[in-house]
Amino acid sequence: MKSRSLILLKNLLRSTSGINVLRYEKDSKKKNRVIGGYAGVFVLYAMLMAYCILTVIGYKQIGIAEASVVMCGVLISVTTFIFTFLKTNGYLFAFKDYDMLMALPFKPSEVAGTKFLYMYFKNLPWVISISLSMMIGYMITVKATFYVFMMWIILSLLLPVIPMIIASAIGALIAAAGSKFRHKQLIQIILTFAVIFLAFASRFIIESIFKENKVADVLTQMSATTGLISKYVVTVSWFNKAISETDILAALLLAVSSVLLFILVFSIVGRSYRKINSSLMAGTSKKNFKMTSQKKMSLINTIAYKEFKRFTGSTLYITNMGTGEVLTLIATIALLFVDPDVIIEGLTNGAPLTKAMLMPSIPFIIYFLVGMMPTTAASVSLEGKNWWIIKSLPINMKDVILGKVAFNMYLSLPFMVIATIVMSIRFRVGMISTILFLILGIALCGFSSLLGMVMNLAHPSFEWENEIDVIKKGASVGLYMLINMTLTCILVVAVVPLAGLIGSVNISCIMILFFALLDFICYKLIVNKKL
Amino acid sequence: MKVLEINNYTKDYGAGKKAADNVTLSVESGDIFGFIGHNGAGKSTTIRAVVGVLEFEEGEILVNGHSVKTEPIECKKDIAYIPDNPDLYEHLTGIQYLNFIADVFGIDAVEREKLIKEYADEFEITSALGDMISSYSHGMKQKVALISAFIHKPKLLVLDEPFVGLDPKASIVLKKMMKKLCEEGGAVFFSTHVLDVAQKLCNKIAIIKEGKIITTGNMDELLGDKSLEDVFMEVVENEK
Repeated sequence: MKSRSLILLKNLLRSTSGINVLRYEKDSKKKNRVIGGYAGVFVLYAMLMAYCILTVIGYKQIGIAEASVVMCGVLISVTTFIFTFLKTNGYLFAFKDYDMLMALPFKPSEVAGTKFLYMYFKNLPWVISISLSMMIGYMITVKATFYVFMMWIILSLLLPVIPMIIASAIGALIAAAGSKFRHKQLIQIILTFAVIFLAFASRFIIESIFKENKVADVLTQMSATTGLISKYVVTVSWFNKAISETDILAALLLAVSSVLLFILVFSIVGRSYRKINSSLMAGTSKKNFKMTSQKKMSLINTIAYKEFKRFTGSTLYITNMGTGEVLTLIATIALLFVDPDVIIEGLTNGAPLTKAMLMPSIPFIIYFLVGMMPTTAASVSLEGKNWWIIKSLPINMKDVILGKVAFNMYLSLPFMVIATIVMSIRFRVGMISTILFLILGIALCGFSSLLGMVMNLAHPSFEWENEIDVIKKGASVGLYMLINMTLTCILVVAVVPLAGLIGSVNISCIMILFFALLDFICYKLIVNKKL
Repeated sequence: MKVLEINNYTKDYGAGKKAADNVTLSVESGDIFGFIGHNGAGKSTTIRAVVGVLEFEEGEILVNGHSVKTEPIECKKDIAYIPDNPDLYEHLTGIQYLNFIADVFGIDAVEREKLIKEYADEFEITSALGDMISSYSHGMKQKVALISAFIHKPKLLVLDEPFVGLDPKASIVLKKMMKKLCEEGGAVFFSTHVLDVAQKLCNKIAIIKEGKIITTGNMDELLGDKSLEDVFMEVVENEK
């Protein structure tokens, strides 16, 4: 008899992969959406692979090609850790089919373990993209043997297991802690943001260690960084030793510890799995409502308010789409106390850049965080089974869409404005430039909100099993990231020399006009779109 | 006066078999119209097209003379729709959801307060309106959905299996409200599996099988001295 976990895993993958839609769906629109989704994700994989190959070539050129192995291990570990951590609530806990699964003859540990394996298989394409591309780059630059090839492939499949288990365990602890409070969602959101902040801050913590050792040379610093990671991140160290030093024992240690840790953690999680989920999914009802006077709102604001409630009502939604805003706030507060020169030096690894040179990039640096992921990239898809409400109401789709765009503007603009003012003061930017930065910031927030909506309207998905399917893995989200990140990175870099040529005020004016035009194009695309 | 006219409505999902095939019927002011059929007969496919949720290519659907295809907003202003399993916004409280609907229909603050209180008291759900919809039972969600349908005084109430999940008192209240709406010049078009309810409540019915209307007309004329159950079985068997 087949293992029950295997049966469950097979069906989880089958029901969410879109394969069934391609095989059995008669509606060609639905099929095309799945194909479009896959195409979008493959473009992201291709970009990631290109980045990985270029990284290895870069390492070869500065003479540290061997560091590629450690970097591959780090990339796989960090990516799978963050992806798993952000998905734990929704995949491992408080998932839609919880009641159905727990009513079937599964042990809680089987359900938890299978859900973990499901997350593992969902992470696998990212792992393979990183692993294969870095391995190809490494084999070209170092001329490695067949042993290296085999070890690299096998071990990189095992490498994500421990970071994923750690991420799941932290997620379990947060869920367990949250479940003990009445405001469980708020507690979970705060704890999740705290972990995200620590993950982002880790890079600066590592760098501060080197600053104390007065390591200034980039090459020495990078070699030392990889050395330090090898020393302290044991899984990456095993991976490195097994490949670089043909250490079979290290390979075995990685394999055995991954399996043992999986069994250990999921038998522990399994014990309190039912209790945590029951607490998380229990709805509290006070039944003490007294009718009081009600307020009337405009249509756009009532849609925006509904979006606000949707946003704050979902840990997954707020932690995935609100990260940029929280990071902006943290960076803004940090800037009040830390000298901007120190931050520039930290961010650019000591490259010869000054405050004055970076000044024209200020709106784009802030936008890099604020515009990271707008709610609009998923807000239409998130309607899911509620879509009938909007569809059956006597409102123009344009108003619904603009209400959703308005919410993202209400969310992102305050962060953009405060960060722009603080940065302008700390970078000693003149009054005219500050005003131009604020106008550009508004245009950029508009662009982010509208582009997200354009993408979501082009690739809506209403039939999802789990919110994460549209929040994190939706085609619209992937495409938005691809276009927005590429454009922002180009502009952050390009405005510095351009400002040198035509002046900071002129470049700000040109950028305002450019983004106003992009906003207008996106707006036209939205209002002409039929849903 | 015709509140709803469905003329030759056809819906083909592309599987070869039509989910709705040349459906033609009309609902007049004051009618409580029962739409009866087996599971998968085409009831929900027709209802979803009437309320503008489902696109269709063939046929015409008019609500108070306005075309669902070309004037959807005008039609929806006159309609209130409750699906068989009303998935409401789980992250809103009951009162927030009702305010959302009231805002969409532009109901002023005083009027909505009066109507929400009236209907919520009737359905005995007032004390729960401050709680999240996610904590509601199926029946409570149904009640909130029904209040949201009545607060904007629709001319056509479209309900898909409205009595499923409602407690006995709520069912009685709903029937009373349906009758009141019709007395005030509105009309009700609803699907049901419960033939007893349809027989007692409706003045007109249509029976749909495999996407086709197999019989329609006034309840009294169709039944004669038979029960609706007998008539239903008879026409369905004859169509085999």
